[in-house]
Amino acid sequence: MLEGMYAAASGMAAQQQQLDSIGNDLANVSTTGYKAQRTGFRDLLYNQVTIAGTTTAVGAGAATEDVGRDQREGTVQSTGNPLDLAIEGPGFFTVKRADGSVALTRDGSFQLDSQGRLTTAEGNLLDPPIALPKGTSPDDVAIGPDGTVRVGTRTVGKIAVVDVAAPDRMLADGGNLFTATAASGAPRPQASATIHQGAVEGSNVDVGSEMVRMMSAQRAYQLESSAIQTENQMLSIANQLRS
Amino acid sequence: MDLGLYIAASGMVAEQTRQAQLSNDLANASTPGYKADESPQHSFGELLLLNTTTGQPIGAVNTGVQIGKTVTDMTPTGMQDTGQPLDFGIVGVGFFAVQTPQGVRYTRDGQFTSSAQGQLVDGAGDAVLGQSGSPIQVGADGTVPASALGVFEVPGAVKQGENLFSGTAAGRATGTVRVGALEESGVNAARTMVAMIGSLRTFQSGQQAIQAIDQTLQAAATQVGSLTGTP
Repeated sequence: MLEGMYAAASGMAAQQQQLDSIGNDLANVSTTGYKAQRTGFRDLLYNQVTIAGTTTAVGAGAATEDVGRDQREGTVQSTGNPLDLAIEGPGFFTVKRADGSVALTRDGSFQLDSQGRLTTAEGNLLDPPIALPKGTSPDDVAIGPDGTVRVGTRTVGKIAVVDVAAPDRMLADGGNLFTATAASGAPRPQASATIHQGAVEGSNVDVGSEMVRMMSAQRAYQLESSAIQTENQMLSIANQLRS
Repeated sequence: MDLGLYIAASGMVAEQTRQAQLSNDLANASTPGYKADESPQHSFGELLLLNTTTGQPIGAVNTGVQIGKTVTDMTPTGMQDTGQPLDFGIVGVGFFAVQTPQGVRYTRDGQFTSSAQGQLVDGAGDAVLGQSGSPIQVGADGTVPASALGVFEVPGAVKQGENLFSGTAAGRATGTVRVGALEESGVNAARTMVAMIGSLRTFQSGQQAIQAIDQTLQAAATQVGSLTGTP
């Protein structure tokens, strides 16, 4: 008798998770290089109920499924800052965190640290490091589409763009950083990407479709809660059999 | 004891199962490629009543209602455009095939992603198969052409959860693959709600019938043969 109630409750929990992911996407509508979450739904196992020799399948409800992130490019926004870089096409910048671990990011708003090295806004060094000669003004830096960094006529390094086989399966660490995992595959050079100087990649969250998803999640939540109410009414009718 | 009690109770049991299925349908109102369940109800076999002394037939009596075998409504539903390069929907009939550890299973949920080996996989990490039965490689630009995906005809496919169906493929189906779209859930919210209310009221009618029969039994037990009689 209670299985229907639990099925509806699992549906409510799934919609709640969907709302959580929509909330996170909407909060990151202005986050540079942010990739929207893709949430999937799946039905659960079917219980074979046998009544008077006939077997009927009764489902156990629904759950969400993590299908990674929307890998589509966000719009490239021109900033005019010579140290802002956007990747066109698939790929990531590699950065090294303070603890020595390597992470990937598409957030290309770089700046110079005290030693003239390119770092992210959070202070993670670009890997391999790019150090500008002492006293270089950011305005003198020219970065080519292939990542070659020049100061005047001198080449000081090349910014590497890497990619993984399954970007959806990378671990999102927050701070716009992703870590390659066994499921995503190891980073490998990505030659087809081009780097855009003086621009950053915006968030790829589409506010319109997020709002539609939100409304549909809310309605589904409502429907499932009325299913629980109906089940409850049935239980109460059964309880009143002998009144 | 009175047959009517059991007839009414059988109706209530059938409605309970129906209600659980409707709840499951509503829980899957957002599940891509989900197909709603229907459980037809039919009567148990009829009994022929005979006069115990003369042997003359009196007529048939029905012994109640029974829930039938679950039927899944396989009608294709509308497409919802997502724009995701690895979302696929089948317009028309057919199934995608995935290689699970338990063997090949079929699904209409085309929300796929890529694996570390660069193959097209479903949310559980199982490889999606082409028409020839081999895994599909995701292109360097992160896309897969619609023609790479296999669309299989699976007669009598049986739902087994996790958006998968089991069955035996019988060649290519007539459906066509659309990239950047997902098939909407086959649950019609309005119709399911109406069915829920209908089922609830039928359940209630069963309860009322049981109470009415209970009252006649009570009268039989307490009044019939009573010497005091009715005033």
